[in-house]
Amino acid sequence: MLNEVSMSVSELHGSQPVSFVPGTDTTADAKPLDCPVRTSNSVGSQAVLVAREICKSYKIGGEQRWVLRSVDFHANAGECVFLSGPSGSGKSTLLSIIGCLLEAESGQVTIMDRRVDNLSVAQRTLVRRQMIGFVFQRFQLIRGLSAQDNVAVPLTLQGISLSEARARAGDLLRRVGLEMHRKQLPTAMSPGQCQRVALARAVIGSPKLVLADEPTAALDGKSGTEVMELLKELVAATNSATVVVTHDPRIVRYADRVCEIENGRFK
Amino acid sequence: MLWNIALRTLAFDRGKLLAGLVGVTFSVVLVNIQGGLFIGLIQKASLLVDHSNADIWVGHRGMHNVDFPHSIPERWIHRIRGIPGVEEAQPLRIGFSEISLPDGNFEGVTVVGIRDGTDLGRAYRVVDGAVDGLSQVDGVIVDQCDDERLFAPAIGETREVGGKRVRIAAKSHGILSFTVTPYLFTTYDRAASFMNSDPMMASYFLVRVRPGVDRESVCQEIRRRLSGVSAMPAEDYASTSVQFWMTRTGIGLSFGAATSLGLLVGLVMVAQTLYAMVLDRISEFATLKAIGMTEREIILLLGAQSSLVAVAGISIGLFLAWGIRGLFSTPRATIDIPLGLYLASAALVFGICLAASALPYLRVRRVDPHTVLQG
Repeated sequence: MLNEVSMSVSELHGSQPVSFVPGTDTTADAKPLDCPVRTSNSVGSQAVLVAREICKSYKIGGEQRWVLRSVDFHANAGECVFLSGPSGSGKSTLLSIIGCLLEAESGQVTIMDRRVDNLSVAQRTLVRRQMIGFVFQRFQLIRGLSAQDNVAVPLTLQGISLSEARARAGDLLRRVGLEMHRKQLPTAMSPGQCQRVALARAVIGSPKLVLADEPTAALDGKSGTEVMELLKELVAATNSATVVVTHDPRIVRYADRVCEIENGRFK
Repeated sequence: MLWNIALRTLAFDRGKLLAGLVGVTFSVVLVNIQGGLFIGLIQKASLLVDHSNADIWVGHRGMHNVDFPHSIPERWIHRIRGIPGVEEAQPLRIGFSEISLPDGNFEGVTVVGIRDGTDLGRAYRVVDGAVDGLSQVDGVIVDQCDDERLFAPAIGETREVGGKRVRIAAKSHGILSFTVTPYLFTTYDRAASFMNSDPMMASYFLVRVRPGVDRESVCQEIRRRLSGVSAMPAEDYASTSVQFWMTRTGIGLSFGAATSLGLLVGLVMVAQTLYAMVLDRISEFATLKAIGMTEREIILLLGAQSSLVAVAGISIGLFLAWGIRGLFSTPRATIDIPLGLYLASAALVFGICLAASALPYLRVRRVDPHTVLQG
């Protein structure tokens, strides 16, 4: 299926060459490579996220290795984009960069028409707080907090009172089928339940962008499917753009668009 | 919400919370008990002055400790009595002698000789025997708390002091010397014979001024009229006596070192506890950073956790210190914890706990939120 949705570079960018020589990587005959589209979605007025010519390298053993090579990427409102590819291909790095968790060496990232790549660490923190919801592979819930309080955290960070945040978190937990588990600690819940709590936490602030890193990797097939259906349902309500990093073929059907990345480039 | 996160994450790891509480509690108890013992002990250095009922103490020039006076001519007292504003002035004798014990040995005593018919210098309060015991023939007063040293003399029992016959006429309670030499109160005249000192000499003159009279002015006038004496308000001489022991014995340094050690232990335990908690929760802090918690909020969160540990530990510690004081304080080993010490120790330990949160913060500060996406 991934191959079916892949498109060639020339289809995306026509014949216009774009230079790419970040650092010393001379092997890269690079052009900015936007993720191929399966539907008619493209960068337009509904674009929540636009990333252009993103480059990122790491130094490993004193040698510079390019993880992302002039990558272009976008996600529109209401769209669910999957980032797929083998381990080390750069998908999590791209997710970190568009999630303002990591700085690219070059390139631009725009969220809701606001450039975020050139912001200070503190400003990027506030962008994450206000615009981005995260779902992590290992849920990353606060162990000492109940499910309800975990979900309430993003709201309270936005200045909403604890009682109001708890009330809204309780409502959302009811929607995700965890009403009876509101007071439970994550340690007393199953992985599937924990991931549903994490989903609720990610969307409770109605973020413009939801980023999910391998959200089904720690779940069995049934739970993974349930989580993805829930994710789709929740983001549909907020019209958020969703980017999911995964190499779980069981959930590809939930993608509006799949971008396969390999060696720091989209295929 | 920060308080909610702080409290619940603390409560979630009860083992580490308990270790932190023990550290804070230990610090508070140690500071208060050490401080209370110190105050209780050092107050003995000025006990005679504090309870003398005098406004001004006059002694040999350079007087530095109430228990170690130099003699001054008794006749000088008339020049003091002539100073305007002086209501009463009485001589006092203080010196060393020995009291015989039933087993044939002797015990050193500090003899305090006071005039009849005045309360100046009458530092004791009789709790056993005749209140006017000094009026009795050969009557002396000793303290109950020195019973062990003096082989528990009974009221009416006769002993020898300085080779002279005395009778235990009464006992006081809690009038103890810093030098651990028992005080023995007697009349001014008999004191000279007990000490084999010149009956024309006195140790001090105790002065009471009329109401509303400036004591410092009277002291200046005394010093002007009697160039060979020092004269100072009673509080000043009490402080001088305390300072004598503080500077000559290093007792302040000793107690201070023990107290500092207690604070250090508290600091280390709180810092270590919070640090261990943070190490356990590095990924949670990374998550909080990832979802938008700022550095300032992280600092507040850690500060809130420190504060919670501090407040709980301080409360327990103050209660324990108060209880220990009530149970174990005796006149011999007085634990005197004034309200100021309770408050100061609480504030100090609280500050230390807040400072201790800097250690885990240094670790959390290095946490990269990006790591939360690395599994």
